[in-house]
Amino acid sequence: MVGREALAYADGLYNLARYLTKNESDAEDLVQDTYGRAIRSAAQFTPGSNLKAWLFRILRNSFVSHYRRERHNPITGGLDTVAPRLPVPDDIGRLRESVEIDRLRKAAAEDIERALLALSEDARTVILLDLEGLNESETALVIGCAVGTVKSRLSRARAALRQTLREWEP
Amino acid sequence: MDCHDVLLVLLDYQQGRLAPEAHGQVRAHLDTCAGCAHEDRLEHELTQALERRLPQYAAPLSLKRRLAAKWPAEALLREEPKRWFARWIPAAAVALALVALAPLAWHRLPAPAGAGSGAMVAEAVNDHIRLVQSERPLEIESGGIHQVIPWFSGRLDFSPTVRFSGDADFPLRGGAIGYFVDRRAAALVYGRRLHTVSVFIFRADGLPWPRGEPEKMGRLDVWRTASRGFNVLLWRDGELGFAVVSEVDPRDLSLLVSRLSGPA
Repeated sequence: MVGREALAYADGLYNLARYLTKNESDAEDLVQDTYGRAIRSAAQFTPGSNLKAWLFRILRNSFVSHYRRERHNPITGGLDTVAPRLPVPDDIGRLRESVEIDRLRKAAAEDIERALLALSEDARTVILLDLEGLNESETALVIGCAVGTVKSRLSRARAALRQTLREWEP
Repeated sequence: MDCHDVLLVLLDYQQGRLAPEAHGQVRAHLDTCAGCAHEDRLEHELTQALERRLPQYAAPLSLKRRLAAKWPAEALLREEPKRWFARWIPAAAVALALVALAPLAWHRLPAPAGAGSGAMVAEAVNDHIRLVQSERPLEIESGGIHQVIPWFSGRLDFSPTVRFSGDADFPLRGGAIGYFVDRRAAALVYGRRLHTVSVFIFRADGLPWPRGEPEKMGRLDVWRTASRGFNVLLWRDGELGFAVVSEVDPRDLSLLVSRLSGPA
């Protein structure tokens, strides 16, 4: 059974929808569509299982099916194939990373938002689901991948975000 | 653990999700590897930037109202559409007739005390239990009200106007973001001896507030009830709603209400 407690997730769902669709009107439609589908599929929901992850999964599937406009992943090779960046422990590396820390600290809300929106939809999704407090199992359920894949996807998405912010010039 | 292993679990390490042994191994590696230590700081800064400065968009109230209006009765969500449809037609007809006749009968019947508040009371108690049972109930440990209240800034679409910093009777332990029915809420946690008192603050509009006669507490009209062994106090103050939940004596909770509503 799906009770009215499902409505408590409207803010989180809308926030993800807003970052996926990039506009208010589509985000509202997407959330409304998500709840419509949830009502129609209520019999498929297992009582006691994770309602929040179930709703986010419906929203993402609905977005992929009907709203997605982005067909090309801006991260070369996709999230699962980008090699992790190993640290650079020499002096030049430290200097570069100090500059990066400084930029992260000075980045304003709109800079962070712009950098996030510049990422692929998949990268944006895993970062926002992590911020929403979903754990790896829940995120795996939402985006339809193996639990073991979530960690590397999130790591690569954050690396891509850092790279975008690093290249930002104040 | 080498650098590659550490980088893979760095976020888990920062969020305290590693087992003690693995946590210790990562800590030991970070103490000796300057490169990974830098990476640790960078990831920490990125998390801070995302959590504190990335804009969060709350669903518009108009959307929430549309969603709530379209949400069917819970019984309808338990079974396949075709089956419930055939079964509930007679019941729906009776219900419609009752709804149609209700206005005629309403003026003859006294409003039941607390009618309409069931959902709010149940939500308040559930939220309190979730806070108490959670292993890490507080997202912000208290360093005083002037630390806790600003922490909510950017996380809510309203400002939780509470100025009671806690005192020896009710020490402020901290705060967290939660949900109340269909909206985000600020959750403040106060102590009362060994007990926990949850205070939820949320936008008051559009909720099924009690219709019964409230109790006067200072300048506030407060509805007091009990559910599942917890005492619950609900009141509105301007555009904000408040719910206080705890198992402590109702008279103690009244004391807290008077302090919460007191002058700055």
